[in-house]
Amino acid sequence: MSDTQPVVTSALSRAAVERHSAAAGEPVWLLERRLQAWEAFVRLAPPAATDEEWRRTDLSALDLDALQPLLAAGVRKATPPAPLMRLVGDPAAAAGLHLAVDGTPIQSWLAAELVRSGVVFAPLGEAVRTHADLVREYLGSVVRDDENKYRALHGALWSGGTFLYVPDGVEVDLPLVSGTWLDRDGVLLSPHTLIVAGEQSRVTLVELSASREADARTLINHAVELIPKPGARIRYVNLEDWGRNVWELGVVRTLAQRDSTVHTLMVAFGAGLVKTNVESRLVGPGATSEMLGVMFGDGAQHFDYHTLQEHVAPSTTSDLLYKGAFKDRARSIFAGLIRADYGAQKTNAFQLNRNLILSDGARADSMPKLEIMANDLRCTHGASTSRLNEDQIFYLMSRALPRATAVRMMIDGFFAEIFDRIPLDMVRERLSRAIERKMAEA
Amino acid sequence: MSAELLIKNLWAQVEDKVILKGANLAVRSGEIHALMGPNGSGKTTLAHVLMGNPFYQVIKGEVLYNNEDLLAMAPDDRARKGLFIAFQYPVSIPGVTMASFLRTAVSARRGYEKDHLMSLAEFQKLARAKVEELQVDPAVLGRYVNEGFSGGEKKRAEILQMALLEPEIAIMDETDSGLDVDAVKIVAAGVNRMYEASGKKMGVLVITHYPRILKYIKPTRVHVMFDGRIVTSGDADLAEELDQIGYDGIRAQYERVAAEVVGEGEVRSAGKVFWVQH
Ligand SMILES: Nc1ncnc2c1ncn2[C@@H]1O[C@H](COP(=O)(O)OP(=O)(O)O)[C@@H](O)[C@H]1O
Ligand SMILES: [Mg+2]
Repeated sequence: MSDTQPVVTSALSRAAVERHSAAAGEPVWLLERRLQAWEAFVRLAPPAATDEEWRRTDLSALDLDALQPLLAAGVRKATPPAPLMRLVGDPAAAAGLHLAVDGTPIQSWLAAELVRSGVVFAPLGEAVRTHADLVREYLGSVVRDDENKYRALHGALWSGGTFLYVPDGVEVDLPLVSGTWLDRDGVLLSPHTLIVAGEQSRVTLVELSASREADARTLINHAVELIPKPGARIRYVNLEDWGRNVWELGVVRTLAQRDSTVHTLMVAFGAGLVKTNVESRLVGPGATSEMLGVMFGDGAQHFDYHTLQEHVAPSTTSDLLYKGAFKDRARSIFAGLIRADYGAQKTNAFQLNRNLILSDGARADSMPKLEIMANDLRCTHGASTSRLNEDQIFYLMSRALPRATAVRMMIDGFFAEIFDRIPLDMVRERLSRAIERKMAEA
Repeated sequence: MSAELLIKNLWAQVEDKVILKGANLAVRSGEIHALMGPNGSGKTTLAHVLMGNPFYQVIKGEVLYNNEDLLAMAPDDRARKGLFIAFQYPVSIPGVTMASFLRTAVSARRGYEKDHLMSLAEFQKLARAKVEELQVDPAVLGRYVNEGFSGGEKKRAEILQMALLEPEIAIMDETDSGLDVDAVKIVAAGVNRMYEASGKKMGVLVITHYPRILKYIKPTRVHVMFDGRIVTSGDADLAEELDQIGYDGIRAQYERVAAEVVGEGEVRSAGKVFWVQH
């Protein structure tokens, strides 16, 4: 059905980087960046298991050489597969939509009036060609390629992902939606998302990804850069429902400028292992970051979230709430750091991690940490891990609800605190479906 | 619809403490019973055991509900079959709204298939009607189950649930305590309406400390529980007498009688004889 199959190289190599860049027709500056990142990748050692950040997430079983890098090859018009359609739901509820299969874009549209007002919503690879100056200015300005070995690999081989640019003062009401479906396994996919929201603009991007359940290990190595200009408001949702063969490493970082507001919501249902850093650097006075997380683990899933609320400028606010439910032998790590730099006076920083353990074999560790250099601030943090309350279950059952229904209602109730804070029905519906599915598997 | 709840020589414990020690009671369609007795005599325990709270263990005895073994059923089965308890201390469930909880509960009670719900419109109509009847603030439906409710709000919310679930046999555990006189009247009127609406078929067991509510919900029988057993039963007048003599008087007399009962056998109801000075 297509003449441009994804390019698959035999291994990770400098030559693969060059081939990929050439095939995508990339400008020289980008090739040079990729090669620099490649050198960093070769130079940097993998994170040591003794490293505090990696102590609880063991990647030693990850064989990078066994992975085939999956690189976007232009645009391939195709009918979206059914699971991708289910994932993205009703396109009428969106102001723009991107669909990609195996890293290659298959559909992309944006409401005409947004195109007219100068909004750019395109696969990042395409934006490199169509909006070279913008991409060049912002790409890599928040997440650097040499931060660690995996970020370097990302920098060398990123492919796919989304570029979203909203001009000053433009307000986009409906969410923009980007859906990724992975049919192949044994691959390395490194999507990069870059959002630049101009002054006083407003936009929501919902990224949804999932894959076919398969055998061979796949690595997703993604990076997200969120750049709200003064007064801008960005809402970013990342929901993953990967197959269990997928390991996902990622970073989602915000650089919040004066009086801007960023909401992030990370939703983890799938994947065998997730290790993601979600970070807000509040560099402009008056900036606000709300960081929400929803995790539901079952089987042997392993979720590791390291979060950072870094207050650089004065009068900034960060408010984090991560909630996870864990069943079977699922494992969760939450390590949340609040840092208030010298001069970050009048900081408000809140952090709360709540976990619900649904089986004896499940486990959740919570490690809040504070580094406070300022002396005039309000800061609270807390963590709790609890089990289902049998008195509550009995109460619901005494009103004719079967136990399974009562338990579902209580899990929904556990997450309600977060949903009351997100005005996005589509996310709520997907969570409800995921809970149903996971609780149905005995 | 003709229901019958038969409690026969029921013994139950919490952790290692035996609380029910041979309780006997029958509540049938159309009957209104009052169960009185001092604090700690086991009234709430009886209610929880009847609903199947796993925290309480039945040691021996039997409970038949419409000739079926009630104790073998899960709590939700009991509720679907028409047993209801308005709890003395209802728990709160943050995150779960009353509306979604009640719609699910009513659907389950009405026999909708698993995970099917009665239409939202139908539920809303029903809920609005009951809320109005019981003079409950409609905003309650949007709040989380019992979360942040005052004592009185909780009691009224229990009766709202009772009205929605249309039980065959309803047990009200100290619903009147914590309510002012006006609220007691509203609740009693609501229960009487439910009773009438059932064609006088609903069976009710009103557990109470005070005869106050019994002025408005007229019992056909009054029972007194003491130390895990029904020690006496009588007609509506018994409640008044009880109010005058007080539980301390009963305790003293009961202990004297109990001393004469050999061993831990079943205590026979002593009837009115019980409070005549020996
Ligand atoms: N959850 C419990 N744990 C320990 N003891 C309990 C518990 N519930 C009730 N009891 C004890 O059982 C006895 C009966 O209590 P209860 O059934 O609440 O009586 P009543 O409702 O008549 O006041 C009391 O001595 C009380 O302390
Ligand atoms: Mg009691």
